[in-house]
Amino acid sequence: MADEEGWLGRFVDNLPEQGWFKFLSNHFVVPYWVWREPKAKLPGGPRMAVQPGENLQRMMNLVMPLKDRSPIGRAKATLALGQSVDTLYAGLDNVGTIHFARFVIIENNLCMMSVYDGDFDSYVRDFIVSIGNVFDAVLVHVEGGDAVIPTKQNVEKFVDWIHDHDLFQMPDFATDLFDLQDEAQNLAANRAPHDLSSLSRALVLQLHANPNFALGSGFRSYAGYSAAQIRSTFGMGW
Amino acid sequence: MLVRSIGRGLVNWVMTGGSSIYDRLVDSLWRPDGPKPEEKRRPVHTIGTGASGFFAASDNAAHFCTAEHFQKGRTVPVSVRFSNGSGNATRHDGWSDLRGMATRFHLDDDRQAGVAADLLAITVPGFFTPTVDEFLDFAKWALPQPYLRQSPWYKFVKLLNLEQPRRNPYPRETISPDIGAEAFADRYDNTKLPVFLDASIGAPASFARAPYHAVHSFIVTGSDGARRHVRFNWQPTLGVLNKDPQQPPEDVYLEHELRERLAAGPASFSLMMAIGEGGDDFNDSSRAWSFQRRRVFMGTMTIDRYADDQWTDNEHMSFNPCRLVDGIEPSDDPILHARRHLYEVSRLRRGAPLCPFARS
Repeated sequence: MADEEGWLGRFVDNLPEQGWFKFLSNHFVVPYWVWREPKAKLPGGPRMAVQPGENLQRMMNLVMPLKDRSPIGRAKATLALGQSVDTLYAGLDNVGTIHFARFVIIENNLCMMSVYDGDFDSYVRDFIVSIGNVFDAVLVHVEGGDAVIPTKQNVEKFVDWIHDHDLFQMPDFATDLFDLQDEAQNLAANRAPHDLSSLSRALVLQLHANPNFALGSGFRSYAGYSAAQIRSTFGMGW
Repeated sequence: MLVRSIGRGLVNWVMTGGSSIYDRLVDSLWRPDGPKPEEKRRPVHTIGTGASGFFAASDNAAHFCTAEHFQKGRTVPVSVRFSNGSGNATRHDGWSDLRGMATRFHLDDDRQAGVAADLLAITVPGFFTPTVDEFLDFAKWALPQPYLRQSPWYKFVKLLNLEQPRRNPYPRETISPDIGAEAFADRYDNTKLPVFLDASIGAPASFARAPYHAVHSFIVTGSDGARRHVRFNWQPTLGVLNKDPQQPPEDVYLEHELRERLAAGPASFSLMMAIGEGGDDFNDSSRAWSFQRRRVFMGTMTIDRYADDQWTDNEHMSFNPCRLVDGIEPSDDPILHARRHLYEVSRLRRGAPLCPFARS
């Protein structure tokens, strides 16, 4: 016979939904654990993998804070992109490793989301060559952008800058977060075994270090195919 | 070397009273609240429901696999056993638990002893351990033990540690393997993901609204002669739907729901096949494959009849994950090979009909 839950038990079960407890957690409990068990900011973008499939249809989620967050500032960034549509298509057609790319403004950020094949550095170098001038026009409106303009003359700095602004991708399998955190501290995986119940703390602390992040590596309807294969298969002249 | 190995095997055999590792594994799976041996029921996936229907291969399935049921235009009858994962002899459908779907593709007219292929799948994408020895350890750790509500003070401390307190026991739940399984996962990295997924899986709204993963790798031979390591999974065409975990769990609904559903119309599943790549571990079934593997649609299974005779078409059926036909081979996954023997031991104890392996 299972034991009965008393009023105190019900009270504690309900605590995570109570406003005062949320306040306590956010202002005291989380800061305490951030101090006690700090987590490094984990790098953005897809992680290294030897399997070919992991190197296809990779996600880039570039978040670039706008300098001028007023409607006029947003309009300027929009115009800079709007005047570059032909350049963007020319870049897409010539680079050949990009499936999709789109720009969106969310709150105070200009974001570029794209799906590409192959190595990250090569991808960024390719688009410096083909659409570097678009980035030059856009980066004028982005915090820290001046330091990497013109991109064609600041290739290494620009690659690092992009990497720094690309969102951290949570592992597709939740418990792999332990391994990423160990790796960031140069610890062998599971050297100090982690209690499964501490996964929620690991997640909260990681989200403190990486407030913006991508939930996994993305969901693919036709995984394992490159943009080049699709173009070739459908006789698009590539 | 060989003599030493045989010697060690003999010592082991004597030390364990002459029982094989598979006997010991089956023994380790029995729960105190499970069926009694004389009832001749399964030690896990004890409660199940039988149904039948047919499988139609997709147009391109034969390119990847030459097995008979994947040939273009071929439709074969299937028998299906849905089950709760637990070895509890009492039905608790609404408790969080993995579920099973064992499918037999009948490839000739003799449905009892004819040529057939089995595909066994569960609702989590990985097995609990990668090796048989670890599974024996896991089974010992995960022996059901009293499952008590954590004290409010203990839960409060857990919340202050930013940890999830253990779920409260379900009504009438007195023992559970969860505590031991979690303690094992705390120590062994391989087991963390399957235990985490199993603990958080919930209860499906219907057997026909859950995805089922055949967790092992198999080697399929395509019409071009290419051999590929693959993993299969079933996706419900109606979509995945769980019961609301905030609501009190119902103990009995899955069998009734399936019967009512099939009386009103068929339910179907898409069979998807993920193709492994160099760098994947084909022999570790505790590790789910990345979602980035190429997936091929192999066909649709339509289930249209609830089995009238649940003894013959459910309880008395014996499946085996290594019951395969030309075109599909087992990988070297040690758990897959162990399951071949485990299912045979279980079948013999239940007195279920002869499996083809018993003749070989």
